[in-house]
Amino acid sequence: MTGARRAQGDKLTEAEAIERAKQGDGEAFKALYDLHKRRVYSLCLRMTGNTASAEDLTQEAFLQLFRKISTFRGESAFSTWLHRMAVNVVLMQLRKKGLPIVPLDDALEGDEEGQVKKEPGAPDERLAGSIDRLHLQRAVDELPPGYRTIFVLHDVEGYEHNEIADLVGCSIGNSKSQLHKARIKLRELLRMNRAEKAGKR
Amino acid sequence: MNCGEFERVLPEFLEGSHTPEQQSHFESCSACANLLADLELISSEARLLLASDEPRPAVWDALESRLRDEGLIRLPQFVTSKESVSRRWRAAWLVPVAAALAIVAGVKLFHPAGAGDPAPIAKQHVSNPTVAAVKPVSHEDQVLLNTVAARVPAQRARYRADLDSANSFIQDAEQSIKDDPNDIYTQQMLINAYAQKQMLYDLAVDRSEQ
Repeated sequence: MTGARRAQGDKLTEAEAIERAKQGDGEAFKALYDLHKRRVYSLCLRMTGNTASAEDLTQEAFLQLFRKISTFRGESAFSTWLHRMAVNVVLMQLRKKGLPIVPLDDALEGDEEGQVKKEPGAPDERLAGSIDRLHLQRAVDELPPGYRTIFVLHDVEGYEHNEIADLVGCSIGNSKSQLHKARIKLRELLRMNRAEKAGKR
Repeated sequence: MNCGEFERVLPEFLEGSHTPEQQSHFESCSACANLLADLELISSEARLLLASDEPRPAVWDALESRLRDEGLIRLPQFVTSKESVSRRWRAAWLVPVAAALAIVAGVKLFHPAGAGDPAPIAKQHVSNPTVAAVKPVSHEDQVLLNTVAARVPAQRARYRADLDSANSFIQDAEQSIKDDPNDIYTQQMLINAYAQKQMLYDLAVDRSEQ
């Protein structure tokens, strides 16, 4: 995202909104919120799987941002700064709730969890060329919290494994391993969903 | 290489790192090829979930309320005469001024007269002819001023100036509401102004009782 991004229609660029927000301008806060609310809320929703929690965390992330906005010097993109802050808010909340940030399944290495399940004689069909967004969303919500965290950070938000390792406090190898298992689990969930739909027809 | 062995190296294979043996298995095994295609599809389609949902308007309402409570939202101190001033805009200045009023009043009242140097602020307000000299004082306000009559001159002047300012906010907001009774924003500003005035009374009484 660039500093020239428009906020409030044609009235204000993002850079202008940031400068005005530093002066305590309420309209500038609203403009910045409107620009980034969907991305932040979606992140919170994906990682918690709960709308009420996602709303609380969205509010908390923006509140933290606006408290610190006077320290923003523009060395990094504003969106990068905001989204990292949102991720940290969510991760802190997950930790408070005692939910696993990283799956505690290193002991399961080699377990069927991360392996392709093949049933003799069962058709090994591929998923179709595209996946319905709602089905994917539902499947992500069904992932165990630890898998979900890594999957959302990497495949949805676009963080690299070294960044994820830094954010959640795991090794790069662990992040890669969990991501792979999360994708395998998602495939299983999506195929189950497809089979259920086919069975109803 | 069998399927189990191939599956174990899939993460690296997806990243483009593979041996001829792995490549050979991939090309000859439809199950593993399907698996790889599905995982790539899931990964690419995941971006659909980025910014796919919108929070309810209530989230901003709650956030804005907290920003105001924390004093993070302040409105411009003045508007130039060349700008057209909407009724809403005129009322909006009540928020920071009222908040500043409460903060200044609180700081001045809860700090002993000897602490720091109140003189500069006191001088500013005593020397402001538009505040103390002109405006009449209601019975209720006179009660408050009587309550603080024994204070040092700087504090009395501070109370008087803050009281007059609060009354000005209320008067302005009431006029705006007369012009537009449905303006919820100004209604809230009026409530805030009354709350600030109430706080002044409370501070005066609390301090007198100590």
